[in-house]
Amino acid sequence: MKRNGKFVRSLFLVMAALLAVGALSGAAFAEEKVIKIGTLFPLTGPCALAGQRCRAAVETAAEVINNAHPGMQVPLAAQEGILDGYKFVLVHADHQGKPDVAKSEAERLFDQEKVWGIIGSYNSAATKPASFVAELKQKIFMCGCSSSGALTERDFKYFFRMAPTDKTESLEFVEFIEWANKTKNSGIKTVGLIYENTEFGKHAAEEGRMAAETGGLKVVADVPFNPGATNLNSEVQTLKAANPDAVFGACLGGDYTLWVRTMKQMDWLPKAALNYCTGYQDPIIAGQLGDDANYFMGGTGYAPEFAELMPAVAAVEEIYKTKTDPSVPFDSDSIQEAVALLVLAQAIEKSGSLDPTVVAETLHANEWESPLSMGGKVAFAPGGQNLKAMSMLTQLQGGEYKRIYPVDLADTEPVIPMVPWKDR
Amino acid sequence: MLTKGKIDRKDLFWLGLLAVFAAIPVTPWFNHSSFAQHVLIQVFLYSSMAQAWNILGGYCGQVSFGHSVFFGIGAYGAGMAVVKFGLIPWPGILAGAVIAAVVAVAISYPCFKLKGHYFAIATFAIVEIFNRLFMVWYWVGGAIGLDYGFTQPGWKNFVWYQSKVGYFYGVLLLFMLVFGIVRWIERHRFGFYLRAVREGQETAESLGVNSTRVKLSAMALSAFLAALCGAFFAQYNYRVDPPMVMSLDMSMKFVLITILGGLGTFYGPLLGAALLIPLQEYTRAYLGGIGGGVDLIIFGLLIVIVVVYQPKGIMGILDRILNGIRRSRSGEGGK
Repeated sequence: MKRNGKFVRSLFLVMAALLAVGALSGAAFAEEKVIKIGTLFPLTGPCALAGQRCRAAVETAAEVINNAHPGMQVPLAAQEGILDGYKFVLVHADHQGKPDVAKSEAERLFDQEKVWGIIGSYNSAATKPASFVAELKQKIFMCGCSSSGALTERDFKYFFRMAPTDKTESLEFVEFIEWANKTKNSGIKTVGLIYENTEFGKHAAEEGRMAAETGGLKVVADVPFNPGATNLNSEVQTLKAANPDAVFGACLGGDYTLWVRTMKQMDWLPKAALNYCTGYQDPIIAGQLGDDANYFMGGTGYAPEFAELMPAVAAVEEIYKTKTDPSVPFDSDSIQEAVALLVLAQAIEKSGSLDPTVVAETLHANEWESPLSMGGKVAFAPGGQNLKAMSMLTQLQGGEYKRIYPVDLADTEPVIPMVPWKDR
Repeated sequence: MLTKGKIDRKDLFWLGLLAVFAAIPVTPWFNHSSFAQHVLIQVFLYSSMAQAWNILGGYCGQVSFGHSVFFGIGAYGAGMAVVKFGLIPWPGILAGAVIAAVVAVAISYPCFKLKGHYFAIATFAIVEIFNRLFMVWYWVGGAIGLDYGFTQPGWKNFVWYQSKVGYFYGVLLLFMLVFGIVRWIERHRFGFYLRAVREGQETAESLGVNSTRVKLSAMALSAFLAALCGAFFAQYNYRVDPPMVMSLDMSMKFVLITILGGLGTFYGPLLGAALLIPLQEYTRAYLGGIGGGVDLIIFGLLIVIVVVYQPKGIMGILDRILNGIRRSRSGEGGK
C-alpha cells in the first residue's frame, strides 16, 4: 500500500507540474503590446536538425524586428518593434514530422496559445494540414521553405510561401542542361530521378520528369526510396544500370550522404548530379562528405559564399549563429523562414492593422523589400507563391558552393562531367 | 458462468460512465479549451482502437503488431470515398471496414499456423509490406496521400471545422460500439472460447472448441472495428497517407495502450489511453517546443515505470489497491 501511495503521489506531482506550465504560458502576455506568432517545425524526429535551425531563423528575425539595429540594412531593423511598439513573441511547437500532429498543434496554437499567425512547417506533408487549419480560421500562415508545388495550388487566401517550388528548380535544371549542352558540349540526353518517397520527393520527381520531357530529355530511371533508408544499394544499382547522363536528386539529410557514399562504393557517377533543396545544401553534410561532396550541383537559395550578392545577410547571420548549436551560418531553407517573418512584419506595418484579412490583402497587393532573398524582392501570386523566388545553381568545388548558373551571376565555370571517383 | 440477458453491477457502472461521458460537452471546462476537446477525442479514439486490438491480443492471446494495416484500410476507405470519388464518407467507411476484415482473415489464416513470437514477427512484416505497397500505389494517392478539400460540415460528410462537438459525439458512438461489443463478448459463449484459446489452444480443442475458427473470427471482428477507428482518424485529420496510418509506430500504439491499461480486461484500454494520450499530448504541447525531445523522454520514462512496477498495467495497480482496501476492511490486513 505504501508503494501504491508513493506512485500515485508522484503521478499527481508530474500532472500538477504540467498543468502549472500550461497555465503560466497562457496568461503571461495577456496585457502587453505583443503579436504572438507560432512556429511549427519538426523539432524532434528525422528532420529535427533542420527544424531546429528553422526555429532559430525565426527567432533571429524576431530579434531583428523587436530591437533597434540601426546599422542593419533590413527593412524595419532600425526601429524598435512595429505599429508603434508592438513586438513579436514566439510560441514554439513541434510537429515531429507528422501531418496529424501538425494539424492538432496548429489548432492548439490558434485556439489555446492565441497566436496571431503561424510560420512553418518545413515538411510539405505537415505544412498542408497545418495551413488548412489556418485557412479555416482565416489566420495567416507564412511558409518559408516547404517546396511542394501543391501547397500554392489550393487558392488559399491566407497562405504565403517564400521559397521557390520544385517546379522552379526543375525548370532551372533543364535550362542549365540545355546551356551546358550548347556551350560545353556536355552531351546530356538522358535523366534519372532518385527521390524519397514522400510528398516532397514525389512532387519533386513529377516536376523533374515534366520539365525534362518538355526540354527534350529522356527519363530513363525513376527510383523512389523510403526516407531514413539504411541501404541504397539496389536504388543506386538501378541508376547505374540505366546510366543516365544526369540525375535529379531529392534526398534529404542523411539519405543524401548515403546516396553519395553508395555511388562511390559502386564506382559510378552521372555526368551531372543536380539536387533539389536537400542534403546537398547543408554545409555540415558537405563537410562530413569532404572531397566526396565535390562536383555535385543543386539549386541554392543561400550559401555563405553569396555574401557579395546579398550583403545585408552578414549582420543578421551573426545573430543567427548565436542561436544555433553548433554555430552555423544560414542555409537555403532556414533563411526563408527568417524572410517569412521579416516580410510579415513589413505587411503589418504597412497595413497599420492587426486584422489578418487586411494584412493578407496587403501582402498580396505589394512588392516587398527582402535583402535576405536572392533577387531582393518578394511578391505573391494568388495562392500565395512568391513570384520573385529564385535560386541559383551552385556546384561544390573544393568544399565551397561555387555559383555556376545563371551565367550573369556565376563566379566559376562548372565541372562537367563530374570528376570520376578514382581521379579524386 | 454465462450471465446472458442480465444486467449486472458492471453493466450499470458502464452505463453510468457513458452517461457522464455524454454530458461532458455541456460542462464549461469542455467549451473553454479546444485542446482539451482534442485530447478527449484522442482518448476515446485510441481507447477504441486498443479495445479493438484487445479482442484478439488480450482476450484471445494472439499478439498482433499488424493492426495499423486494418486501421489504414479503414482510413483509406473513407479517404477514397471523399477525395477520389467525391462521395460522402459513409459508404467508404463501411467498405473499408469490410475489406479490412476480409484482408485480416486472408492474412491471418496462414499466420495463425505460427505461434507466439513467430506470429507477432509475421504481423510486423505485414505492416511493412502494406506500407510500401500503398506508398507506390498511385491510384490511392501513393506517397502524396489523399487530402480533403473544403466541404459542407455536418453528420452527412462527417467533418466539422469550427467546433469539435460533432467529432466528440462521433467518437463517443464509436467508443460505445467497440466497448459494447466487447462487453457482449465477455458474457457470450464466444468470449469464453476466446479465453479458452488464450489459456491453451490444445486444451480448448480437446474440449471441442474450433480454435482456428475462433481466432479467425476474433481477427475479423478486431480488424473491422480497427478500420472504423481508422476512418474516424482520416475524417478528423482531413488527410490520409501511408506513414500516418500504416506504420509500426501506429501499430505499437494499439499494443502499448492495452498493455499499459491491462491486457484482456474490459477497462484496461480506456485506462491506458486515459493515461497515455493526455501525457503524450500535454508533454508535447508544453515541452515539445523546447526541442530536444524532453516530452518524449518523460513520456517514455513513465511508461517504463508503470510497466516495471506493475506488468498487469493500471488494472493490476487498481486491483492491488482495491484488494488492499478490502483486506484492511475485513481485518485480514495489518502489518
